[in-house]
Amino acid sequence: MTKVQITIDGQKIAAEAGSTVLEAAREAGLDIPTLCHHPALSNWGACRICLVEIERQRALQTACTFPVTEGMVVHTESEKVVAARKFVLQLLFSERNHYCMYCQMSGDCELQSLAYRYGLTEWPYPRPVEPLAVDATRQYFVMDHNRCILCRRCVRACAELVANHTLGVRERGIHSMITADLNVPMGESSCIQCGTCLQVCPTGALMDLKSAYRGRETQVERTRSTCVGCSIGCGIELVSRANHLVRIEGDWDAEVNKGLLCVVGRFEPLFDDRQRVTQPLVRRRGLLEPCEWDEALGLVAEKLSGDSLAALITTRATNETMTQFGRLFRSLGAEMAAVGSLAPAPGAEGRLTDLAEADVILVVGADLKKDHQVAGAFVRRAVDRGARLALVADADNGLASYATWHVGFDQMDSLVGMAAQASRPVVVCAADLPAEAEAALAPLAGKASFLGLSRGSNSRGAVAAGLPLSRGGEASARVLYILAEDDRLHIPRNGAGFVVAQASYVGPLTDMADVVLPAPIWAEQSGHVTNTEGRVQSVQAALTPPENVWPTVKVLKTLAGRLNLAL
Amino acid sequence: MTFEKILLRNVEIPNSEKIDVYLKRGGYQALRKALHEHTPDELVEMVKASGLRGRGGAGFPAGLKWSFMPKAADVTKYVCVNTDEGEPGTFKDRLLVERDPHSIIEGVAIAAYAVGAHRAFVYIRGEFFTGVKRWMKAIDDAYARGFLGANILGSGFDLDLSVHRGAGAYICGEETAMLESLEGKRGEPRLKPPYPAQVGLYARPTLVHNVETLACVPHIVLRGPEWFASIGTEDSTGPKIFCVSGDVNRPGNYELPLGTPLREIIYEHAGGIKEGRQLKAVIPGGASTPMLTAEHLDVPMAFETLHAIGTMLGTGGITVMDERVCIVSAALRLTRFFAHESCGKCTPCRVGTQRLVDTLQRIEDGRGQQGDIERLLSLCDGIAGHTFCPMGDAAVNPTLSSIKHFRHEYEVHIERHRCPMSS
Repeated sequence: MTKVQITIDGQKIAAEAGSTVLEAAREAGLDIPTLCHHPALSNWGACRICLVEIERQRALQTACTFPVTEGMVVHTESEKVVAARKFVLQLLFSERNHYCMYCQMSGDCELQSLAYRYGLTEWPYPRPVEPLAVDATRQYFVMDHNRCILCRRCVRACAELVANHTLGVRERGIHSMITADLNVPMGESSCIQCGTCLQVCPTGALMDLKSAYRGRETQVERTRSTCVGCSIGCGIELVSRANHLVRIEGDWDAEVNKGLLCVVGRFEPLFDDRQRVTQPLVRRRGLLEPCEWDEALGLVAEKLSGDSLAALITTRATNETMTQFGRLFRSLGAEMAAVGSLAPAPGAEGRLTDLAEADVILVVGADLKKDHQVAGAFVRRAVDRGARLALVADADNGLASYATWHVGFDQMDSLVGMAAQASRPVVVCAADLPAEAEAALAPLAGKASFLGLSRGSNSRGAVAAGLPLSRGGEASARVLYILAEDDRLHIPRNGAGFVVAQASYVGPLTDMADVVLPAPIWAEQSGHVTNTEGRVQSVQAALTPPENVWPTVKVLKTLAGRLNLAL
Repeated sequence: MTFEKILLRNVEIPNSEKIDVYLKRGGYQALRKALHEHTPDELVEMVKASGLRGRGGAGFPAGLKWSFMPKAADVTKYVCVNTDEGEPGTFKDRLLVERDPHSIIEGVAIAAYAVGAHRAFVYIRGEFFTGVKRWMKAIDDAYARGFLGANILGSGFDLDLSVHRGAGAYICGEETAMLESLEGKRGEPRLKPPYPAQVGLYARPTLVHNVETLACVPHIVLRGPEWFASIGTEDSTGPKIFCVSGDVNRPGNYELPLGTPLREIIYEHAGGIKEGRQLKAVIPGGASTPMLTAEHLDVPMAFETLHAIGTMLGTGGITVMDERVCIVSAALRLTRFFAHESCGKCTPCRVGTQRLVDTLQRIEDGRGQQGDIERLLSLCDGIAGHTFCPMGDAAVNPTLSSIKHFRHEYEVHIERHRCPMSS
């Protein structure tokens, strides 16, 4: 990489050619303030807070957009610069309601912290009096226009990262407002509630209903982990306080998703209102009653050593759990299965990043607006960039409006033939495709890169642990052991005489179980999961499980001990 | 001596917008000459030598703009005709479009040939209903006679031209905002660089010109760059249409050589101030240029001479205000226009222009406070030079220049708690 020599605030810096003044300054540890700028988004240059003085330039320039050149001399806090920044802040504070003490972002707000930094101690202009409507039509978050500074990070995130293009601006000048679609309430718009806009908002304008007022940055803990909402395995940061999950954010540094998340990963775990199982339960006279671990495990061990045993495991489980589960039930001669399935890959397996390079994307059987939604965002981005989408799916597929071609399975061959002519085709396959569809993809082997989207978060981990995959309904045995953890599995009893459920929540499984063993939820234990690309990723515990809930692996090991199995 | 009309030579002839009339008046001879007798490079050199500067407001040398376009033949390039004439006090492009559209088409075709573009777009202000009709009819007729389309005049050069109507935003006169709007997006300026000559419409190299600029081109080709450069001053060559409005006896468009004194335009051509009143202030080049007073009337109307006295030639839209005008009210009205037209992208323009309006309104309403003049000046200081596009600089000019020349009138407003001009 070529370097250019520049001077910022007297400090000599070797900056990367082609980088902006802001990037060069940040690389050198110098702090130029920003509002509309966000590293994951395109450079915008509109809020004007990053204005700096560059020698031999007529006017102040925005550091976030101005490229470095050899010999450039920059002053980031000169009198002129500070005056301009203060002016911009004064205008922003005069534009809408920024009474910080009432805002949930107080303490974490980028606007507020700049007001402190530049000593805004008065209101030189009259403050606004007319309140603006708050859009609370979304299930998980709220848009409060009164706190918006129109930096448009949300608009750019919606367009550039999610490629959903829901957010925009209506009116102009002082009447500008962030708006959804053609000015409809967010809840009636094309918004998919991925929440990326919330993650980039510098003020309290976009707030989610869970974390608002539940703790400032200095009061919370952050844990890097992996989402197990689907098999993409997005990198996440779990934000917790006092052993409660307050927020989930996309990890900007994660290779898989680069900060993106979907509604399943960002919001659904926070709003899980199922009742926890907090201690072992044994069914007596038809009712589940609390008991000690010792009694429950004794009863389970006794039943497991009998004949005809089936054992099912959720694919939300970690690789470590899968391995331990496999060892235990293999030595017991049980019929084992993990509840999930892999997608076909008749050719070279690709990566999600291949979508960024593809010229034709053939999506077979998957609805990426419903499942694997982050992959859907990558496909839409590719379409925005000029790639063509060929869709083999039902008529109501969520990406239908992005598709150049859209056919049913019966006409799939024509699109396969077309994709074979492309220079960089990528095939995205759903799991559980009809056998004919799988066969129809054969001509693309050796030509396209295949991205199979397995059903179940860790189906690949299950396969690696030697567990066969199933839909979960086939097992029939005298004794049925179901390791569900926090998964919403629907397993029929199929005439089993005795059912053990290792579960985190009360639900249909615990309703039919004879013994219930409490299990931690995904955020309470560490381990690894293997995503649909085969990438092994780390899951980190952010929370401590309730007192009487044992780690899943410990339960499996204790059972093995009870059964005198040396594993 | 009356100046021979060049750009407006056709506009008073009956049916001047019709292709037959245009042809009878020698129309499309320049295009024929350009295509058959000149190479594209020669044409670029001719325009450079003519000294032609853009007539849209900024006055950038046209030939230089042409030479910035990449030479490669395999690159898709575009030419855009900026007919978004929205500058208050400016009505010259409208006249040309309505009364002499073929002269612009001829200019477009020559420019496109010179820079190697085969697709051109007209972006026209949505309110120009007659202009749109005239443009479209003229384009249809030009196609029918072989001045547009494939193999123009047997030269092998192809050019397609079509019209796009704007939706009513001043900012779309700014070339990159115009390109955004033309692409179907919200009309807001783009980050520069890159300039349109590198990354323009649909990310292709694009030449953007004002109507009047393009209308000069056929004359340069026909009569030579030396002839063109002999008109006007050394740094401001050629004829210019001055739009005179306000308190004059004969408002209208006057074509004169660049460098004609302001006094001559107002008092000779436009017939002087109504009812013999005194001139109080004059805006020389459209609402965005700083106003002048009677003491500046001898300034030659040229880019460099107006620049030297702290204002600009702009579009050549001269607005005359006589002694009855309240200067605060005038500044308020002009600033309100800019606040209304601010696109809202950057903070200083979006909020700053509104704060200017608030303060001016307060003073005009007799609610002015001590310190309001300083507040206005500090607002101007905060906005100017700090906005995303040049509109911020324009927006402060009415306030800045009116305080500069008429500070006393502001003080009287504030001290007497009322507008002294209103009865």
